[in-house]
Amino acid sequence: MSAAAEREARRTEALDSFRVRGMPHRRFEHWRYSDLRAVLDAGQVAQAGTAKWKIEKLPEGVELFDLSVQNAPEWVMKTLGHVGNRRTMVEASLAFSEGGVALRVPKGKKIAEPIKLEISGQGNLRWLIVLEEGASATIFEPHTHDAGYLRNVGVEITLAEGAELQHVRCAPLAPKSFTVELMALELAKDAKYHGHFANFGSRLSRTEAHIVLGGEGAEAHLSGVAVLGHEAHSDVTTHIEHAAGKTLSTQLFKHVAGGKSRAVYQGKITVRDGASGSDSRQTARALLMSPRAEADLKPELIIFNDDVKCAHGATVGDLDVESLFYLRSRGLPEKEARRLLINAFLEEAVDAIGNDALKETIWHDIEAALPRAMEAAK
Amino acid sequence: MLEIKDLHVSVDGKKILKGLSLKVETGKIHAIMGPNGSGKSTLSYVLAGREGYEVTGGSIIYNGEDLLQMKTEERAAKGIFLAMQYPVEIPGVTTMTFLKTALNAQKRARGEQELDAMQMLKLVRAKAKDLQVSEEMLKRALNVGFSGGEKKRLEILQMALFEPKMAILDETDSGLDIDALKLVADGVNMLRAPDRSMLVITHYQRLLDYIVPDKVHVLAAGQIVKEGGKELALELEEKGYADVIKVPA
Repeated sequence: MSAAAEREARRTEALDSFRVRGMPHRRFEHWRYSDLRAVLDAGQVAQAGTAKWKIEKLPEGVELFDLSVQNAPEWVMKTLGHVGNRRTMVEASLAFSEGGVALRVPKGKKIAEPIKLEISGQGNLRWLIVLEEGASATIFEPHTHDAGYLRNVGVEITLAEGAELQHVRCAPLAPKSFTVELMALELAKDAKYHGHFANFGSRLSRTEAHIVLGGEGAEAHLSGVAVLGHEAHSDVTTHIEHAAGKTLSTQLFKHVAGGKSRAVYQGKITVRDGASGSDSRQTARALLMSPRAEADLKPELIIFNDDVKCAHGATVGDLDVESLFYLRSRGLPEKEARRLLINAFLEEAVDAIGNDALKETIWHDIEAALPRAMEAAK
Repeated sequence: MLEIKDLHVSVDGKKILKGLSLKVETGKIHAIMGPNGSGKSTLSYVLAGREGYEVTGGSIIYNGEDLLQMKTEERAAKGIFLAMQYPVEIPGVTTMTFLKTALNAQKRARGEQELDAMQMLKLVRAKAKDLQVSEEMLKRALNVGFSGGEKKRLEILQMALFEPKMAILDETDSGLDIDALKLVADGVNMLRAPDRSMLVITHYQRLLDYIVPDKVHVLAAGQIVKEGGKELALELEEKGYADVIKVPA
């Protein structure tokens, strides 16, 4: 079978699978806080077309394949539609997108300059990145929104032995849009993934990552911030599977919600039978700036092995009254004192980004979003 | 400088201050001594403008103005400074950033020129040296992991930077060993000035050996029950509170 025919066959499978299962909704436990079916029907997803992607300057040493070309090389064929489980919206993005992008960093190549992958427009989209043995790269994924969109992105990331990827995803405020991005990652022995998800909310926003730590010594480090105001919604859902021994995962999510916004974090960790000596830590905290804002934080552990360390914590609260008084008694006006404390709250999570320029970009977006988040509900 | 008249304050509906009157003179150091639960900390918080302290009667006039009408931050800009018994820890804000933000906020409120990062660094370094506040401390998150002595030294460093007109020291001696106490007291004594008043609140006479007051007031059950010179502190130490104060029924 030609590559094109093989792709078509997989696409047909995806289409059938989506048709049978349809849109996820709140009776699926993991979509409880983000009822997609209540706001969109399957037809809208099918007819949404293909979203746009752009890489203005590809760093030297990175290979790129445009997915709108049907005859894909072997490394794309092995990856596209084959990483992770077949979640219904993942199948939809495969079935309905006419394009997307695949990237590869060859064995041993260290790419210092970030790859900037911009995503815009309405529709379904796929992108994937393959890091071969010992390769390293940074990918910055800013989304832009200029209208009310439906966007459904499927992402596949595979990291071979000893590879290391930094991934910073930034989704700006899109009050009229529905934005879904589902990622699937597979990490081999000693591979490392550092993911940072900054969300400023949309009408319904879902960022989901399924990570399989498949080789001994593999590590996933997730961090993220959500700064929400008005009626914005942001749902970050993660599932990390410790499938091999001595694997490590850390998660640190900080959310600030004002107005009538809603911040969701669901973090599931599975430790498989053979994953002895694994270590997982997850922390999620939310600050509510308004009585009508809501935060749902749900850590979940499923462990099939005795020899593991798992720690998790989740707290929802308001700014500390003592701290606020202390700062004001030193002359800071109330608003400035609040802002300083919110920045301090978010600091740790932003600081996890390993690239200073990207860190600054995220801070810049946070500063712009804070006035909204600091408003009480109207 | 400061005149408190017949002040009544409740916290969570419980009456804490019951007709407290006190006059603090310009350039003088006044000590307030009193047993636990007499209302010492309440007085300091009411002066600094903490929320949750309900003034049900009386007045506080500060330099001719009604202090109770001012917001917390306004009081700071106008020269009120409270060195706290338990300074709060704020992870994520470096001490240096905090000092700069606070001093510039006060300057801005007074319509003065703000300091840039270099000017600020120079100023802080000069003042920090005397109080043995290290560069390393200034880089750390505010009060996080500081020892009791370090926290109190940082409070006094703020006092040196902000140059308040009316400084209130709330139990500055608590939790300090004798060396740390001397260091803090030296810092305070250096800040004595003809236009600066201080209100030193303490349970024990010990601090007043090092920061010698001009006047001592004894606070018991929400009122000033006795006033005198510095010798009153010694008398209290010798006889204990029960003998000196006649607790009002």
